[in-house]
Amino acid sequence: MEPEPKNDLAPMEDFERDLRAALRRQPAPPGLKRRVMERRWQVRAAERRRMVWLERLAASLVLAGVAGGALVWRNALERRRGEEAKRQVFTALRITGRALEEMRLQLQERESR
Amino acid sequence: MAGRWQPDFEQLVDEHQAMVFSLAMRMTGDRGLAEEIAQDVFLELDRNLRKIESPLHACHWLRRVAMSRSADALRRQRVRSMELWVEIEEHHGATAEERSSPLGTRIEALLATLPEAQRAALILRYQEDLTPDEIAATMDAPLATVKSHLQRGLKLLRAKAANHLREYVRGA
Repeated sequence: MEPEPKNDLAPMEDFERDLRAALRRQPAPPGLKRRVMERRWQVRAAERRRMVWLERLAASLVLAGVAGGALVWRNALERRRGEEAKRQVFTALRITGRALEEMRLQLQERESR
Repeated sequence: MAGRWQPDFEQLVDEHQAMVFSLAMRMTGDRGLAEEIAQDVFLELDRNLRKIESPLHACHWLRRVAMSRSADALRRQRVRSMELWVEIEEHHGATAEERSSPLGTRIEALLATLPEAQRAALILRYQEDLTPDEIAATMDAPLATVKSHLQRGLKLLRAKAANHLREYVRGA
């Protein structure tokens, strides 16, 4: 600690005591707590609104995904069904062709007799 | 096993509003700005409430953030002079009940003319009764720097008081 200066200043202890008294905490302005609580409520309300929008956006994205997926799945199913029907038609044509061939051979055999 | 301390925001505002407001008020010298800072500090506390572990932690956190936000506000403004401070006090001044003694008011006015770092150290020392170690932790500054700010600030303030306040001139 530095020695007290030898001049006409009042002792440091007295000054520190006065400074401590001068710097006592001041009461907060009336209504500060109310205004803080109001702002807090506003902030939370804004956050809730933002959350609602985010939830709506997320729900829309999920719905769009589900709808898109369903569309793709339906297209794939229809394509599969189409291919199955095509295969069945070819099978039927092959069977018919074979039956006709057999009938033609039988007719040919009967004519040759 | 003891339950974890649950912070009650409303109670924290009740308990610490005078401290936060006084710190901001003495750092900025502007009641309107100090109230704005106090509101912002408490809203920031609300956002960080889950990180607060104890009443002591809450007090330390509020003190540190109040000082930091006040310094930010001062940096934005950069118009601190004793004349302006007095002018603002006249326009946005406290009610008669809120004022300190006349001598206290004049000491506060002189305090507002000190460099920001010295003022901050003196406010934490004499308003909040913190030790230099605690001030260093609050200001996030080295202990030696804080001690120097305290010593120089006190010396400068006393010299200003001797020049401006008749109570501090011996033999006056």
